[in-house]
Amino acid sequence: MSNPNQTVLLHRALYMQQAIKQAAETFADFASFAISRQGAHYAVAISDIDAEADGDVVAEFCNFALYNTMQRKRKKI
Amino acid sequence: MTAQETQTPTVERLDDAHSRVTLALEIGLYPIDVLYGAAYIFIDRAYVLLDKDEGVGRPGRYLVHLRGKNPMSHEQLLALCGEFGNELLSQALRRKVVKQNQKIIEEITTQAIAGAAGGTLPTDFLANQDDGLDFLDDPLGIAVPWEEKFKKKKDEPGAAP
Repeated sequence: MSNPNQTVLLHRALYMQQAIKQAAETFADFASFAISRQGAHYAVAISDIDAEADGDVVAEFCNFALYNTMQRKRKKI
Repeated sequence: MTAQETQTPTVERLDDAHSRVTLALEIGLYPIDVLYGAAYIFIDRAYVLLDKDEGVGRPGRYLVHLRGKNPMSHEQLLALCGEFGNELLSQALRRKVVKQNQKIIEEITTQAIAGAAGGTLPTDFLANQDDGLDFLDDPLGIAVPWEEKFKKKKDEPGAAP
């Protein structure tokens, strides 16, 4: 069983803030997200995770944040 | 020194119970684009989390946390690590080839777009567009009928009687 509240650390050199926000919007129906800066990382506090949701919301969120970052970096080139 | 210690990326942690593995690779060895490219390939079958270990007194490292979306055995996790290493090399090679052929790719693309747009007219043709002629003027005699143009005069030798 997953924890009801979790914090994910995403390195600022590897993840873009806008990409993380976009992923948070995507998963807004399944959990609440609060993004803050913590040293070299973005700390994403994830709470109110929907227990009924299929799959691992936190891990899927991380995949989305990574994918969104890649997309945004590609557009920048 | 074991084979696992010398290979890149190195397996930092392997957790069979949670189908989880952490790989580490030196920052200077692979560009960030290569890491993204490899991670993208694995995103459909694994949960991927990237991190950076700045490293105190040693070179910095990228950490790649992979967790199978479905339960994975020890062997499958090791295979996943190997595949990730292969994908890193593949992406690095692809990047190198693209860089080498960048000029050719750009040239071919430009030609294809120009062709699709109907081609470009020579600049001197465009500059001489206004020659001061009316549309009814016929300086080359193109509108003159053939009979009129090549009609033999009656007094010319060989003319029909």
